[in-house]
Amino acid sequence: MNVSYQEKSILGSLLAVVVVYGYYFASVLHDARPEFDGGSLGRLVFAVIAIVVIEIVYHIVLALESKPEPKDERDVLIDCKAYRNAYFLLATGAFLVMGWVIMAGLVRDAAPTRIIVTPFLMVNAVLLVMVLAELMKFLTQLFYYRLGLR
Amino acid sequence: MTKGRIRNNVRKLRFLGSEMTQQQLAEKIGVTRQTVIAIEQDKYSPSLEVAFRIARVFGVPLEEVFQYETAESESGSAA
Repeated sequence: MNVSYQEKSILGSLLAVVVVYGYYFASVLHDARPEFDGGSLGRLVFAVIAIVVIEIVYHIVLALESKPEPKDERDVLIDCKAYRNAYFLLATGAFLVMGWVIMAGLVRDAAPTRIIVTPFLMVNAVLLVMVLAELMKFLTQLFYYRLGLR
Repeated sequence: MTKGRIRNNVRKLRFLGSEMTQQQLAEKIGVTRQTVIAIEQDKYSPSLEVAFRIARVFGVPLEEVFQYETAESESGSAA
């Protein structure tokens, strides 16, 4: 299978995001207390740093192994479509998080329907939306690189 | 509106034109080799500017490189 430099770059970034944030959100789900403490904050900082380091190392190795190609009009068009889909997901997620916070405020004192909102949960909800938007961007790019733009 | 499809003869013209490689054509028209591959496989329709550059490289009119086909035009040519 003929895989271009751009596709290799996207595949590496996609894998890094899935592995690092997959591990991070799995650990968040197992958190007993939905609050920021030394451990949860450390994991968040570690995840962000890990992504940056993996991306830098992977792209250095990729640049040494295969010749980097500058983006042309097809790459730019695919980027535009990928950002459009990612933006749609990001906006939808942002509205859902806003709705969740507003609902939590409205039913604050109604004990049976209490919705928990803590800074820890809000930060992670926003981060999850951002990660999902990033994944949507990568998957859209791979879709158009493989199946073509017609 | 009938949706059409753009077809091209880039691969044929490349071989007729002293067996130019995809990389050579890509460099002449200012795109990557992957884009030339996508054009040849009808997976990407280039911009008008790149289309004109391709035609100029082969020294032929644009219509000789790219054809716009609709279901009507195909049935018309078959008749």
